[in-house]
Amino acid sequence: MQKLFSRLGLLVVVIGMLCIAPFTQAQENVQIDFYWASAVEGNLPAIFQGYADQFMAENPGITINLVYSGSYTQTRETILAEGTDPIVDVAIMLATDLSTFISDSTIIPLSFLIEGMEDGDAYITDFFPAFLANGTDADGMIWSIPFQRSTPILFYNADLLAEAGLEVPTNNEDLIAVAQALTTPDRYGLLLPVAGTFPIWIYQSFAAAYGKPVVDNDLTNVYFNTPETLAAVEFMTRVGLPVEEGGFGVGPKGGSAWGETPSAFVSGQAAMIYHTTGSLTSILNDVTNSENPFEVGVAFLPSGPANEDGNGYGAPTGGGNLYIFDNESTPKTEAEIDAAWRWVQFLSSPEVQSDWGAQTGYIASRYSAWDIDPLLSLVAEYPQYGVARDQLEFAVKEFDAYRSVDIQNIINLQLSKILSGELSLDQAAEALAEGQAQIDQLLEPFKQG
Amino acid sequence: MVNKRNGWSIIADILTMIVSLLWVAPLFFAVLISVRPSSDPLSVGNIFFGRSITLENYQQALELAPWAWHYLTSVLVVLGVLVVQIITITMAGYAFARMKFFGRNILLFVLLIQLMIPSGVLVVQNLTTMRQLDLFDTRWALMIPYWASAFGVLLMRQTFREIPPELEEAARIDGANLGQILRFVYIPLSIPTYIAFSLVSISARWNEFLWAAMVTRTAEVRPVTTGLSQLFSATEAGTNYGQLMAGTLLVVAPLVVLFIFFQRRFIESFASSGLK
Amino acid sequence: MAQTQSAVQVTHIAQTHRLKRPQWRHILPYLLIAPTLILVGLFTIYPTIRTLEQSLYEPGASTRDERGRRVQEPDTFVGFQNYADLFITQDPPHPIVGSFLQVLGNTIVFAVVTVGVTLPLSFGLALLMNRAVRGRALWRFSLFYPVLLPLIGGASMWAFLYGNTGGLINIVLRSLGIPTQDWLNTPDLVLWSVIVVNIWKQAGFYMIFYLAGLQAIPKDIYEAAALDGASYFQQLFSITVPLLRRTTLFLLVIASTYAFQTVEQLDVLNRGMPANRSNMLLWYIYQIYPSAQARGYVNAISMVLVVILLTFTFINFAFFERKDDDGQ
Repeated sequence: MQKLFSRLGLLVVVIGMLCIAPFTQAQENVQIDFYWASAVEGNLPAIFQGYADQFMAENPGITINLVYSGSYTQTRETILAEGTDPIVDVAIMLATDLSTFISDSTIIPLSFLIEGMEDGDAYITDFFPAFLANGTDADGMIWSIPFQRSTPILFYNADLLAEAGLEVPTNNEDLIAVAQALTTPDRYGLLLPVAGTFPIWIYQSFAAAYGKPVVDNDLTNVYFNTPETLAAVEFMTRVGLPVEEGGFGVGPKGGSAWGETPSAFVSGQAAMIYHTTGSLTSILNDVTNSENPFEVGVAFLPSGPANEDGNGYGAPTGGGNLYIFDNESTPKTEAEIDAAWRWVQFLSSPEVQSDWGAQTGYIASRYSAWDIDPLLSLVAEYPQYGVARDQLEFAVKEFDAYRSVDIQNIINLQLSKILSGELSLDQAAEALAEGQAQIDQLLEPFKQG
Repeated sequence: MVNKRNGWSIIADILTMIVSLLWVAPLFFAVLISVRPSSDPLSVGNIFFGRSITLENYQQALELAPWAWHYLTSVLVVLGVLVVQIITITMAGYAFARMKFFGRNILLFVLLIQLMIPSGVLVVQNLTTMRQLDLFDTRWALMIPYWASAFGVLLMRQTFREIPPELEEAARIDGANLGQILRFVYIPLSIPTYIAFSLVSISARWNEFLWAAMVTRTAEVRPVTTGLSQLFSATEAGTNYGQLMAGTLLVVAPLVVLFIFFQRRFIESFASSGLK
Repeated sequence: MAQTQSAVQVTHIAQTHRLKRPQWRHILPYLLIAPTLILVGLFTIYPTIRTLEQSLYEPGASTRDERGRRVQEPDTFVGFQNYADLFITQDPPHPIVGSFLQVLGNTIVFAVVTVGVTLPLSFGLALLMNRAVRGRALWRFSLFYPVLLPLIGGASMWAFLYGNTGGLINIVLRSLGIPTQDWLNTPDLVLWSVIVVNIWKQAGFYMIFYLAGLQAIPKDIYEAAALDGASYFQQLFSITVPLLRRTTLFLLVIASTYAFQTVEQLDVLNRGMPANRSNMLLWYIYQIYPSAQARGYVNAISMVLVVILLTFTFINFAFFERKDDDGQ
C-alpha cells in the first residue's frame, strides 16, 4: 500500500508537469480563431489546413488558428456559451442562425466592410442571390457570407425510368405516377427523408412548390397555416400512406430517416429520393462501386400542382455561412477586423469556392467559381452538379425568423405528428392552425416593435 | 456458492451464453460494418461480409485528427481525475459513513445535487469560471471539475458502512490513527469497489465530450472524443456507419484492454481480501 | 439559559474526554469532506444557484441599432411564472414548453421501466457471472463492454440495427418473411426501442457493483446455511438479497438519476420524434436551449428535475436506512 501511494504521488507530479498550458504569447501577429462546423464527409481538417497555410503565406502577420467545433448544433452552443466576449473570431455556422446570432451573439454587420472594398459591388453580386438571402436582414444589411451551401434535389434511378419508358417527373402528379409505376414489394417508388426532427427542410420545398414559401424577407412573418402549406403537408403524408388509407402507396409511413435514405437509393431499395446536393458526391461514388451500378439522374424538385411545370419549382437553400464576431468589452481593432474580413474574403474567393465545392460536393456560392477549375471540369464530367446550381434560380430563402429555434421546434413537432400518423390526415388542418397560433404568440412582440 | 454440476447449473450456463450472445451481437456487427466499404449497405451481398472487406474506414478515421495528442490528453486526464477522485471519495466516504457531525445528511444531499442537475445547464457558468481562473484551454480545465465525485462518495459511504465497525475499534485500540485505519482496514477491504469505481470513472472521463469540446480549443489538449465527434456529427449525406464504427472501436480499444486487466484483478482482489 | 446549558455541556465533555480530542473530532469530518465540498460548491452548487435564480426571470430581448450594434434589454423578474407555464395547460399549448407534461410522462415511463428491468436483470447477471464457469472473463466482457462505449457510440450501433430500410433487424425479418417494423419512427414503438438500448448499455454497469457486493459476502455464511439444509433459492432470498440491500439502495438512486439524465442516445435514435413520443426531459432541454429568450424555461425544467430526483432519493434513504441510520 505504501508503495502504491508513493506511486500515485509521482503520477500526480508527472501529470501536473504535462498539463502546463501551451502558452499563447502576446504577439504582434493578429490571430484569427476560426471555428469550423462539419456537415460533410471527407478529410476536412486537411483541406482547411491547406487553405490556412496558403492564406498565411499570402498575408504575413495573420495567423489562422483552426478549431474544429463539432456539428452545427455543438458549434452554436459553444459560441453562445462564450457570451459577449467570445474567443471565436470567424465561424462557419448555419445560414439560418442569422436571427439567433443577431440577437444573442456579437456578430458584426458586413455591409460596411463590403462598402469599404474597392470592388464591393462586384464582389457581392457575384454570389447566387438565393444564398445571400439568408445572410441579409429585412433592411438589406448583410451579416454573413455564403460558404458551404446546399439545396435539396430529386435523385432518380435513370435505368429504372428508362426500362419502364417513363419521363423524369416535373410536377407532383407525374412524380406520383412514376413512383407508383416503380414501386414493387422490394422497392419504394419515392423516399422523402422527413422522419426525425428535421421535416421542416423538405417541407419547405413542398410549400414552395404549392406556391407559398414558409417565410419571406421579413423576419416577423411565418406562413404555416395556409391552404398551400396544408396541401403540401397532405401530399407529403400521402406519399407514406398505403392506397387503402387514402395515400399513394409509394413510401414508408412517416417518411424515411435522413441518413438512411441515400443508402436505400444506392442499394436499389428506392427508385427516387429527395435529398441534399451535399450527398451527390457520396451517392455517385457509392453507386459506381456498388453491386449493381446504375445511372444516377438528378433533377429539379417537381413543381406542385399538375400541369404547372416550371411555375412551382422551388426548394429552400441550406448549409453554412461565414460570420465575424466582435468582443464587447474590448472591441476588435481595425487591424483585427481587417484580418478577419480578409480571411472571409479568401474563403469566399472563386478559387477556394471552386476547390471546396469540387472536394466536398457543396454548391460553390459564386457564379465565377463555376467558370474555373476544378469545378469547371467536374461539371463537364458529371453534369449532375450543374443541375443543383441551375435549380438555384428557383430556390427560396431557408426558414429563418425571430425566435427561430422555438418556431422550428413548433413546426417540426406539428409536421411529425401528421406525418407519423399520430394525428390523422383530417386533423392536419387543426394541427397547422394550432402551430400557427403558437407561432403568432411568439412573433407578436416583434410585430409591434 | 453452489458449484455442483446439477441441472440448475446447466440451465445457468445456457442462460449465461444466451444473454452474452445477445449482448455481444451489436458489437459483432459493428466490427463487420467497420470493414465494409460504404458502397455496400448491409442489404447488399452476404449479410456478414458483404462483397469485400476493406480497412479504408479505419484509415480515413485515423487521418481525421491528431490522434496521438488526443490519446495523450485522454490518458492524462483520466489518470489525473482518477487519482484525485480516489483520495477525495475515500476521505468524504469515510466521513459520511462513520462519523457523526452536524449537518451530515444535509451536506450529503447537497453533494448529490452534482448527480441530479443536468450538466448541460452548468456548462456556460463553468466555462466563465474557467476563463476567470485562467485555466481555459488547458488540461486542468478538463480535470478539476471532476475531482469531486458525488457518485464516488455515495459508493464509498455505502461500502464502508458494510465493514464491521469492530475492525476499526480494534485498530484504534492498537493505537492506529485515522490515516492508518483507512489504509489498513477500510481501503484493503474495499478493493473490489475501488476497481469497479475506477472502471466507471475511467470510462466516463474517456467518453466525456460536451465539457471537453466546450473548454478546449487547441488540438493538443483535446481528448479522443473530439476526434471521434467528427464522425458522429450528422452530415448532410447521413452517417457513414463504417467510419463511425471504425472510429468508435479505435477509441474504445484502450478501455477494452484495461477492462481485461482490471477484471483479472477483480477476481484476485476477492481472493486476497481475506474478508471473513 | 442557553449559556448555562452550553457551559454545562462543555464541563461534561471536558470531564469525560481529554479536552483536545473532542475539538479535533469535531473539525475532522469537515476537513475530510472539505475538498469534495469546495469543488462541488464551485462547479455545481454555485452554478445551480444561478440556475435557480435565473429560473425566476424572463430573459430580456436584444436588438440591434441601425449601425448594427447590439442593445440588450434587462431580464424581468417573473416569480414562478416559468414554473406555472410548465405545469398549467393552455390552449393553444404554450409555444415553448407546451409539450412539457407529455415529455415528463415519457421520462417517467422510461425511468420506471429501465430501472425496473435493469436492476433485477443485472442482479441476475451478477449471480450468473459469479459462478465458476468456463470462459467467465469472456462472458463478463460481453456484458460489460457496452459500459465502456461512449453512449452515442453504443446507440449508433443500435441505430444501425433499427434502421427501416437498411437496418439489420428488418433485413433479417424480411428474409424470414416476417413483416418489418419502423422501430424508430413508429409512435407506439419508439420509446421501447430506446429503452432496450439503455437496458443493454446499463445492465453491465450495475452488474459490476452487484458483483463487488457478492464478493464481499463472507462465504462461511453460505456454508453455514448449506449445513442447515437451506436450498440455493432459500440462501438467495434469506442471505444474498438482504445483504445486498445497501448496494441495491445505492444502485436504485444512481440508476433512477441516470435514467432521468440519459440523453445522448436520442441524438441518433430519432431525436425525440416522432411526435415527441420518445422525447425526454434532457433532450427537451437541449431542444429549447439554443433560444436565449427561452432560457428561463431551461432553468426551471432543470430545477424541477433536481427536485424530483432529490425527493426520490430522500424517500429511498428514509425507507432503506431508517433502521440502521442511528447509533453509528
